Amino acid sequence: MTHEPAAPAPAAPRPRTVDDGSNFRHPLYQVLLDTPGLTVGTAAVDDLLTWGLTNAMWIFPMATSCCGIEFMATMASRVDIDRMGSFVRPTPRQADVMVVAGTITTKMAPRVLKLWEQMPEPKWCVAMGSCAISGDFYRNLYSVVPGIDTFLPVDVYIPGCPPNPEALMHGMLRLQEKIRGQRHGKDFAPKPDAALLKITQPSIPRLVEANRPADLSAAQERASDQPTVDEATPALVVAPEDAPEVAPLVANDFEGLLKEVGVTELPKDGPPLVPAAHHLELARRLKALGYRQLVTIAATHWLAGRGRKGAVADEVEHFEIAFVVRTVGAGSRTAAWAVRVLPGQPLLTLSGVYAGADWQEREQFDLVGVKFAGHPDLRRIMQAESATSFPLRRDHPADAPCAPWR
Amino acid sequence: MNELIHGGLYGGMIVGVLMTTTAMALWFERKFAARMQSRLGPTMVGPSGLLQPFADVVKLLQKEDIVPFQADRVLFNLAPPLGAIAAISVAAVIPFSADIIAADLDVGVLYLLAIGALGVLPVFIAGWGSNNKFALLGGMRALAQSVSYEVPLVLAALVPVILTGSMKLSAIVEFQATHHWLVVWPFFLGVPAFIIFMLAMLAEANRIPFDIPEAESELVAGITTEYTGIKFALFYMAEYVHTLVASAVGAALFLGGWDGPFAPGLGWMVAKTLALFGFVYWLRWTLLRFRSDQLMALCWRYLVPAGVVLVAASAVWVVWVG
Repeated sequence: MTHEPAAPAPAAPRPRTVDDGSNFRHPLYQVLLDTPGLTVGTAAVDDLLTWGLTNAMWIFPMATSCCGIEFMATMASRVDIDRMGSFVRPTPRQADVMVVAGTITTKMAPRVLKLWEQMPEPKWCVAMGSCAISGDFYRNLYSVVPGIDTFLPVDVYIPGCPPNPEALMHGMLRLQEKIRGQRHGKDFAPKPDAALLKITQPSIPRLVEANRPADLSAAQERASDQPTVDEATPALVVAPEDAPEVAPLVANDFEGLLKEVGVTELPKDGPPLVPAAHHLELARRLKALGYRQLVTIAATHWLAGRGRKGAVADEVEHFEIAFVVRTVGAGSRTAAWAVRVLPGQPLLTLSGVYAGADWQEREQFDLVGVKFAGHPDLRRIMQAESATSFPLRRDHPADAPCAPWR
Repeated sequence: MNELIHGGLYGGMIVGVLMTTTAMALWFERKFAARMQSRLGPTMVGPSGLLQPFADVVKLLQKEDIVPFQADRVLFNLAPPLGAIAAISVAAVIPFSADIIAADLDVGVLYLLAIGALGVLPVFIAGWGSNNKFALLGGMRALAQSVSYEVPLVLAALVPVILTGSMKLSAIVEFQATHHWLVVWPFFLGVPAFIIFMLAMLAEANRIPFDIPEAESELVAGITTEYTGIKFALFYMAEYVHTLVASAVGAALFLGGWDGPFAPGLGWMVAKTLALFGFVYWLRWTLLRFRSDQLMALCWRYLVPAGVVLVAASAVWVVWVG
């Protein structure tokens, strides 16, 4: 779902204020101006309040990746941001500045917005590092928000990958300047450069842009207020198909087991392909033989006409799911096999044999879209719960939209 | 009437001095912590960052006041002032010198133990009223901890009461001035009681190594998780005042209060209080946090039995020896 610039809605009548450009002056305002010494007094009080605001900026650390390490270094002895009265508060209720240090994914974004909403006014937001500013080299990735200014009102951008502690300190000092300036009526609104904007335009309009549709902000607000993943998404239940009964396997080594299920020679271009009917029994027997650790499950999506051997004219669209198990301890042996399934055809889950298969199969379901029959809890695990696509499929567009975050 | 004026005058003075000391204590703690971590601490706000606590207060006064959705409004708003009042009220009976006492009660020790124990109530009210799981967990932990450590605290405070034969704080200090400080003689009763008192006091005030109720790595900010602006400031202040006042009580009960050579009594009392106060910071930035079960084991398996033995031994000492 992409957001077209909506037709401009009829502007609601706004209350007239002193600084809306209409030269409106409340009668009381003139009286206050004429009172001798009053403006001097209020200016002094305002300066005192600004002094307090700028000199006690407590930070809420929204540190998600490597920028967070530089952020921690800023708290430590070499730079020591405590010198200007800033320190970290772990709860958003007592913070003044949210420093977003790191990549924000579409799954993280609603949480970030929720934490931002929990901070009390007046509050400021600092985008630390390229990822927070624009998404940087993850910008066109299916899961990354292209810049936090698409949903947060950023005050200061600190470029760098990551910016060093001195840069963050400098950014905080610039934020002080900005607050002081704003209290004195200075305009800090960005002056967009049309040519630059053409290059840096994120996939959804920024908060400051005039063509940003109101329903986009509303959708982001709504998403940040949703219940947790567990409540929001029920697990997908896939019943096992009626498979023919297979005889229990009896061989005592992996080679023998492969022969038993009909694989006579090991292919050179990948793990041996085992018939799906024997898949679960093979895993059970291997575990009985001491292969107690499930190393990985990896699914590959092949479009029609392509397969593991390269271009094959009569190949249909299919998934190939590889399994790797090993024995534990010294002299460990590994066994790997693959199963081929067609789109829509479920594969029996291994989670009854290997407990570790639970999350691995969820991951393959989330990213590639393979269904596992009999899986106890088949939900998305890495992507946002609202995601609708399977990004590691070969026909998935690299910069797919993910409403309302990209 | 005369007593009322005296109490009001000194009470006001003591509260004013306490507030200023608390502000300075905040500055001192930040500088002290910074030095322990080879940092500088606040330097930019005022000379050596001395105005930092005032900037914090000015800022906190301007913050939005948020009451969480479905929180218990009355309890939520009641807890911070109650906490501050409970912490400050204890200061009423502290003898800062021979004549600077706001209210020299005959049951001073009983009063300070009772009011000090009241301090756990706002903490639990805040935890309950916030409608926040972290706050509630923090409140529960604080309740369990404070109620448990109340026992060794009372037992430790009983030792000077038995040895000096009075519950009046000025009389206890007077006794130490004419005889010996209790940590000097009988030291085998005074020193263990003093140690138990300090440990229990740290636990009552939720300071490291007993700060389980607001363990940042587990509970965000414990009971203060949902508090913004000046309400949070009140809680924060209450914690400092509690520690400060408890240090003063420790100094009066065990370290001879205002007694000391070459200097006026007030100077000695302040010096002893600040020394104990600094010791609390020293612990805070040195030690790690106890686990909940370790905390309870320390209290019920070591401190309480030791306290009971000390009380019995003090009685024996008073009747047959002293």
